[in-house]
Amino acid sequence: MQTDRHLQSAGRAPGRSINYRRRAEIFRWLHRAVILAGSLAVMLVVLSPVAWLVSSSFQNEAEIVSVPPHWIPDQPTLKNFKAIFAATGDETVTYETRNKQDPASGDYIPSTAGNLLPAMANSFIVATLVVILNLLVGIPAAYAMAKIRFYGRNGSIYFILTTRVIPDIALVVPFFLVIKNLGLLDHILSLVITYLAITVPFTVFILIQYFEGLPDELDKAARVDGCSRFQSLTRVFLPLAMPSLVAVILFAFLTSWNEFLLALMFTQTAASQTLPIVLASFTSDFTISFSFINAAGLLAIVPPVIVAIVFERYIVSGLTAGAVKG
Amino acid sequence: MKNRFEGVIGRRDFLKTTAMAGAAALTMPGMKAFAAGNAINFQTWSAAVDLVKSHVAAFEKTSGLSVEYANSPWAQYRDAMVTKFVGTAPMDVMWVSDAWLPEWAEAGWISPVDEFDSLMAYNADAETFCTDSMTYKGRQYGLTYYTDFMGFIYDADKVAAAGFSAPPKSWDEVVEQSLVMKEKGISDFPMMLAMAKESWLIEFMSAMVFSHGGRFTNDEGGSIMQDEKNGALSALQWVVDAVNKHKVVSPGCVETGELSGLKAFASGNHAFALLPKYRLAMLNDPAQSQIAGRAKQALMPMGANGSHATVGWMRFHGMATQAAADKARADNAAKLIEWFGGKSDGAYTFQKLLFLDIGAGFGVKPLFEDADIRAKYNTYADVAIIQEQQALARKKDVVTPWFGDWNEVNGASWQSAILGNVSPADALKKSGEEWDDLKSQA
Repeated sequence: MQTDRHLQSAGRAPGRSINYRRRAEIFRWLHRAVILAGSLAVMLVVLSPVAWLVSSSFQNEAEIVSVPPHWIPDQPTLKNFKAIFAATGDETVTYETRNKQDPASGDYIPSTAGNLLPAMANSFIVATLVVILNLLVGIPAAYAMAKIRFYGRNGSIYFILTTRVIPDIALVVPFFLVIKNLGLLDHILSLVITYLAITVPFTVFILIQYFEGLPDELDKAARVDGCSRFQSLTRVFLPLAMPSLVAVILFAFLTSWNEFLLALMFTQTAASQTLPIVLASFTSDFTISFSFINAAGLLAIVPPVIVAIVFERYIVSGLTAGAVKG
Repeated sequence: MKNRFEGVIGRRDFLKTTAMAGAAALTMPGMKAFAAGNAINFQTWSAAVDLVKSHVAAFEKTSGLSVEYANSPWAQYRDAMVTKFVGTAPMDVMWVSDAWLPEWAEAGWISPVDEFDSLMAYNADAETFCTDSMTYKGRQYGLTYYTDFMGFIYDADKVAAAGFSAPPKSWDEVVEQSLVMKEKGISDFPMMLAMAKESWLIEFMSAMVFSHGGRFTNDEGGSIMQDEKNGALSALQWVVDAVNKHKVVSPGCVETGELSGLKAFASGNHAFALLPKYRLAMLNDPAQSQIAGRAKQALMPMGANGSHATVGWMRFHGMATQAAADKARADNAAKLIEWFGGKSDGAYTFQKLLFLDIGAGFGVKPLFEDADIRAKYNTYADVAIIQEQQALARKKDVVTPWFGDWNEVNGASWQSAILGNVSPADALKKSGEEWDDLKSQA
């Protein structure tokens, strides 16, 4: 009776009890539905350009400008990919052997199409060298700064970080003069050297943060057990630092793979040009093919995607290395 | 415990070895660069690369000289070249856009070539606006190899479907035909204008202004763009009305660049477009365009007090000052410039092949009489209209050392007016004031 009065005062009909379990279940399903819808929306935004990249790379230039667009090609073609993989090397081009790029006869493939694979190779060599040298230089430097107390330690760390405050564009001319005086213009070593200047400070910073998070007692125990500094680093700290090393590898690789400005300034022939430069050159010819550029773009994203998949399980922990200290 | 690492190689030895390896690695490319020191260094942007290579190969075979050919993307070419000039990278001959001539000449990066009689002989064959565009302060800086103009292109089927027997001859007729097309549902925005802030914008604006009988500057280089009769007002007013009053041009035109506009026109979205003439070849290619066979060129429509005039532009081969300073290098550079910009083996081979391959325009009049060229043109265009329009092309009247700075302000002013934020008169007043200010500082 008292309950009925209470329900009446609350504006509900007496005798109707609320099924809290059912209500919770409905909310749970609603919650899941909202998350699912949100995820699908995000996936749509993120994956649509990639889907179009894939689809349009198998279309010819007329189909790619169809209205409405053809997400599934009506007449799929491998012409763009054939042009890339049919590169004939660097032999002398004559009037007879030149690529005429004649739009009136449907030949819209840029004459530099054959440069794509060599450019990918250059990018891969540069990125790999930068990664290796980053690790060779960054690991000992970070270990020393994190675990060895020496005069000027903090100053060194701040100095290294300060070098990254300067925008790359401000460094172009000084870098150019150095590279020219070294005789390295149009040589991939010019890129390796300058990319190291960009990536090593970040590498050292990330690794310092991670090494500092590892207890000093590990270092001391290793030394007591007879390890040298080098052995302490290689046998104790490196195995524990795998996530941060992966972050460093990814950062150095992707930075080198995508870098444009310095590559533009220091390279000028197919012998040294990297992928971003060759991709950009496809938009500067008289005949510009969106479908061909998309085919090239599709190939360009393959190596970074493979690297990301290989190191996927380390990526999140590596990228947050040093973000939170216990 | 003995350090295993130290047991194999000492720290000092390690440093010594790596330093020697580094020095060796750095020396090898330096030796390569030294060995290539006698070649003609030739820099272009990444266009018609195979044709350039083949023409370079023919030059090397004929002259016995060697050429170091390099290229970089067009969009970043100027920035890359400025860095190379400042860094004194080896440079002899390079492609130059008419828009950069005053800047590069004033900076002393390129030198006049008018002391080479062999090069000046070709002026007799060149279009007047080409020679004018290569001339700065009375000195000629190169020979052209590519010339083109802004063309008025229309979709013949859409014009016919709207019930018109001929394309518009005036900008008023463009509006009239466009309104009919809108009414009949042929196109939502029949006229395609690409007014995004990019390198093409000044060409689009100049074509509009010249055809309306206006100019940005007078013969003395003073600003007259704000002038109601002789300036740019009627042209900008037409664009503003087309977007906001008649709605025959999309307001999105302020974000549409030339390439996007071309692809939109190729997809059949529009009936009329201002586009570089050489795009006709692509537009009539079934493999690249949905309107293949229907893209035609008409003379540029006239404004109320205007004419069929349009804007022309050109690119030329220039000589680096570092090459001009050395007689032997300068002579070799002049030979390469003539090979590309003049005749090679008695014919304008490079300009002819550039046209036959990709439809790029040429700046020497005799090529219009070439049988191969006429035959090729007639496969996708009307050579008579092209020749007539090219004769009406005029050089841009704003190319000065301060062009880049002014162009930023002028582009923003036009866009503000198109979006209805300011009146066309106020927009051009601001452009004019900016011009006068920059000119007074120069």
